[in-house]
Amino acid sequence: MQVERIDGVRGLALCAAEDGSKSTVEIALVSVEPGDRVLVHAGVALAELSAR
Amino acid sequence: MKYVDEFRDPELGRVLATEILAAVEPGRHYKFMEVCGGHTHSIYKYGVDDLLPENVELVHGPGCPVCVIPMGRVDDGIAIAREPGVIFTCFGDMMRVPGSSGSLLEAKAEGADIRMVYSPLDALRIAKQNPDREVVFFAIGFETTAPSTALTLKRAKAEGVPNFSCMCSHVTIVPPLRALLDSPDLRLDGFVGPGHVSTVVGARPFEFIPADYGKPIVVAGFEPLDILQAIRMILAQLDEGRCEVENQYARVVPYEGNQRALEVMAEVFELRPHFEWRGLGFISQSGLKLSEAYADLDAEVRFSVPGVRVADPKACQCGEVLKGVIKPWECKVFGTACTPERPIGTCMVSSEGACAAYYNYGRFAREREVV
Repeated sequence: MQVERIDGVRGLALCAAEDGSKSTVEIALVSVEPGDRVLVHAGVALAELSAR
Repeated sequence: MKYVDEFRDPELGRVLATEILAAVEPGRHYKFMEVCGGHTHSIYKYGVDDLLPENVELVHGPGCPVCVIPMGRVDDGIAIAREPGVIFTCFGDMMRVPGSSGSLLEAKAEGADIRMVYSPLDALRIAKQNPDREVVFFAIGFETTAPSTALTLKRAKAEGVPNFSCMCSHVTIVPPLRALLDSPDLRLDGFVGPGHVSTVVGARPFEFIPADYGKPIVVAGFEPLDILQAIRMILAQLDEGRCEVENQYARVVPYEGNQRALEVMAEVFELRPHFEWRGLGFISQSGLKLSEAYADLDAEVRFSVPGVRVADPKACQCGEVLKGVIKPWECKVFGTACTPERPIGTCMVSSEGACAAYYNYGRFAREREVV
């Protein structure tokens, strides 16, 4: 999913999936900014995807 | 989509398949276990096995989180769900897993308030919306899902949500792998390592596989080219006489894992002395329960549960499938008495289950034709 907007106070982000659907994701476990791509599992971003 | 399309390129797939064909020794049979149910799903969805030489066999491992939940735990969940005033929440797949006297879905049909959620955070939201009801989340899954549960429990504690609790059935991946490697039933040449679990725990916990058992393991992603490349990497290790942990899924998996996730898990959970796995029996230190600091949010402390061990149905061979000893179609009830619509065993329930993957992607018909 791609991070669109971050709510730093609540530790949440609005993320968009491949099909365009959007959902709120917990981002306490990663350091991300809008535009980053993240691996989300059960509502939580577990990893930021890198170009490696 | 970036990070997806390039790993589904059919031309690159053919190149990798050619390299794999060139790398195998004629006359030698290779048996690799894909640990994760997500890999099993991808292999049959994309026909990855059709691209492999006949002497490269993939066998399925125990990494489907729904498949390994024993019947007794389902019965415990149903017992809590039937308590007056309880809203019982769980992931969708879990609702269809058979217990000894039916599934959570059947209990819902009989009047229990059981709701499907996509995340434990959804369950916490339901608890806040229903302060006069007890809301229980049935937590299942490996280290991939455990951080989500842990963060939710931290939120519940921080925000003071007294009517929320968790029935914790999280499991860990290393103990069953060690049990499989110790089993005389199975001879393996290498492992396709679990990519999603490794985003949390990293690749380091799998170093015991080459160190203690002399088998290579390559942590892999879930697109078809990820899996093909992992197989190519395992074959290269065997060819070059190497035996180590390699990370094909480096775009997601740091070798040391996600330290923040590991820290929150260490705060919220502790290892159970033993945990029962469907088909695999009791495995030491393989399950998680809530730590002392979070015991007040433990549904098994808050409610009374039967806690009775229930044997699998005699006809069901999920245990052998989960251990990679038999293929799904070799089970006596596969595709006849046991189908995705009316599953007897857990492997036919979840999309990550080997039996469901075989059945849903046409393998059932193909294998029968071969027979």
